[in-house]
Amino acid sequence: MSVDGKNRAFAYPTKAFFVRMITRDINLEDCILDLIDNSVDSAWNQEGSCPMGLGDGANLSRYTIDIQLLPDQFVIRDNCGGMSLDNAVEHAFSFGRNATADRDDFSIGVYGIGMKRAVFKLGRKVKVRSTFTQSDGSRLAFVVPIEVDTWLQNDAPPWDFDIADDNPLEENGVEISVSELTPGSASSFNSPAFVQNLRRIIARDYSLHMQRGLKIRLNGNPVVGWAINLLQSDDFIPMRVEYTDELEGDTVGIEIIGGMAAPPPESIDPDEGDDGDRRFGWYVVCNGRIVLAADKSALTGWGTEDWPQWHYQYAGFIGIILFTAANAAALPLTTTKRSVDTSSEIYRRARPRMREVSKRWISYTNQRKQALDEARKRESAAVSVPLASIAQRPAVTLPVLVAKPAQKSANVNYSVPVSRMKKLAQEFGNINMPYRDVGLRAFEYTYQDLVGKD
Amino acid sequence: MPSFNVVNYSLRPSKSIQRQLVFEGISKLKASLDFERQVYIGFGSIWFTDFVLAHRLLGIDDMISIEANEVGYHRAVFNAPYATVRVLHGLSNEVLPTLYSDGSICTRPWLVWLDYDYHFDETRKEDIISIIENSPPNSILLVTFNGGEMKYGKAPDRPARLRELFGAAVPDDLATNSCRDERMQQTLADFALDLIQSTASDLARPGGFIPAFRLIYQDNAPMVTVGGILPTKGAVTTAGGIVNNANWKCRPAKPIVAPPLTLRESAVLQSCLPSVERLSRDAVRALGFDLEEDQIETFQTYYRHCPTFVQILA
Ligand SMILES: Nc1ncnc2c1ncn2[C@@H]1O[C@H](COP(=O)(O)OP(=O)(O)OP(=O)(O)O)[C@@H](O)[C@H]1O
Ligand SMILES: [Mg+2]
Repeated sequence: MSVDGKNRAFAYPTKAFFVRMITRDINLEDCILDLIDNSVDSAWNQEGSCPMGLGDGANLSRYTIDIQLLPDQFVIRDNCGGMSLDNAVEHAFSFGRNATADRDDFSIGVYGIGMKRAVFKLGRKVKVRSTFTQSDGSRLAFVVPIEVDTWLQNDAPPWDFDIADDNPLEENGVEISVSELTPGSASSFNSPAFVQNLRRIIARDYSLHMQRGLKIRLNGNPVVGWAINLLQSDDFIPMRVEYTDELEGDTVGIEIIGGMAAPPPESIDPDEGDDGDRRFGWYVVCNGRIVLAADKSALTGWGTEDWPQWHYQYAGFIGIILFTAANAAALPLTTTKRSVDTSSEIYRRARPRMREVSKRWISYTNQRKQALDEARKRESAAVSVPLASIAQRPAVTLPVLVAKPAQKSANVNYSVPVSRMKKLAQEFGNINMPYRDVGLRAFEYTYQDLVGKD
Repeated sequence: MPSFNVVNYSLRPSKSIQRQLVFEGISKLKASLDFERQVYIGFGSIWFTDFVLAHRLLGIDDMISIEANEVGYHRAVFNAPYATVRVLHGLSNEVLPTLYSDGSICTRPWLVWLDYDYHFDETRKEDIISIIENSPPNSILLVTFNGGEMKYGKAPDRPARLRELFGAAVPDDLATNSCRDERMQQTLADFALDLIQSTASDLARPGGFIPAFRLIYQDNAPMVTVGGILPTKGAVTTAGGIVNNANWKCRPAKPIVAPPLTLRESAVLQSCLPSVERLSRDAVRALGFDLEEDQIETFQTYYRHCPTFVQILA
């Protein structure tokens, strides 16, 4: 027996693989973020593509990204310069970046799949419009219409999409519209909770870009970015270090900042549905984009090695680690760009430095329990400073507090129906009063009544 | 005190107009949608006003009334207006789950009206979500609750309270001002609809939810009624077409605040209507009595739905 005449195994992809399969591994929100990333990359490119650290002063206030989620249509439109015709012909619509593509632009785009995956996830009828200025100074407009079902019918190469002339957009930029939405996108766009949540995600993950002036609108209303700031005083000084690392010939710039963003919580137990600690934890930023926000999990070290699990007591801490690289492939990104790739060497090497500042904060929150009044006094003296203005300093400074002997205390824990708790809170004058405070008030009230003054 | 002890349900003119509008809306839907063997589920109390309308106007036979109060339950059984009314004893969050698996009704479209006197809270929310999760295709869900602002904490506390109650759809920057005075009921109505819509979408109910009812009315406390259709996938376009048509009356922009009128007053006013022109206060005075401007406006808009009350001195 021999393999004569059968010595090649067929290994050609099918279109359905790209339309039906790779769209399953990403959720709708992340697809929309992929499209925003492309607009941001384009704006960044217009501004000259420098490393997106904190120090530089790049200004994005000229740029607006407008997103509309309608019951039967999705539209994203930017004025970020547009996609050139050559780019459309050669790169933008191919699946996967080819080896010759320019990789030195500090972009967040890396794989060459985001836009295609996003539009396939969204719907069946797609229009990508672009208007840009050519090298001779004249403007050119084109459109790439995609009928997904028709395109799917034939797997034979070459795979391509038509490009046609188009009326120019008002400003240079790209407009992608998708109709005949997939059932999943249609029902999500109908959900006010989905839309609000998307707004929250955008507000958080693009907050550094919005601090540079970028405007993002969702269904007509501007998204207001999170303000990520740290507090500073003589007692509380954030750490900030900068260094570079190498990965297979690529240089990666790393910046770590950490410290107190708010005084720790009054109580060490989270109250009912309290989102009191949602801003705190570690932020991982890759070429300007926040890929992990306010993380309290093992991804940023909590609960690993000799590092404790996140506890509500640690709220108030914010740490930020920024990675920048001309070649985004060197960044510790997952393919969906919504998490950090913990197997990345660059990231693993940065972890001990992250641990150091986290541990100092943990020990401060333990210490302050013995000297609460003093701690609160000092904490309240710290003022908010923008990240960019924080000075270099290898370690965080936190006050050393001397413990006061405390009275032995009893902890009380009991449960009652929420509706009764709410009624009592309302009677105490604040329907949102934390349960703990209702409990204390109730205790004091009874104590006064039955025991009287101490 | 259970509210049936306070006042005869039917003696609330604004509530009555609101109820009339809703039932007329549903009968419009009924002409085009498949509500075959629809089941009515509500809180009939001892008066069963909505049950009588459901039977007369919509031709619904099978009806279930939920009653938690011990005495109220026995009085409800005694007062049930038709042989096909079943009164079930218990709180709605105890009784509803038993209906989801009740073979005699669980495949037929429901018309559920959770007509609470109570304000919107965690318990009402559970009822509503469980209906969205479990009611059969082509069901209609209506919810009425007290929209009095003080029920939702003091003004500065209200945005946080609403966030707690209505979840992710409430914007992070909801202004205290949207939770004051008559804006409070509008805000509550919007968020309650958002909550229903989001729940139906997140659950991927095949036809989703089509908001259709949004009425604010006031006899004593300001009340909010919201609701809509949980259609089959096939019914979405038809249902949407009806409720988004300009002649759909179940989303009035203004609150319904109807004046209680004597038989004589309403007869005299009515004799001037219909009229394209706004009935003025002077015109009413010329008729020999007087009313506030907004009372006149409500009467003119809704006179066909206004009840009149005669006091019987026995
Ligand atoms: N809004 C836009 N403005 C300008 N160019 C764009 C825009 N959207 C897409 N492009 C072009 O299309 C290309 C392909 O985008 P796509 O998102 O598919 O891949 P990518 O961004 O290169 O990589 P990734 O898969 O990591 O996102 C981009 O590299 C860019 O050149
Ligand atoms: Mg991309």
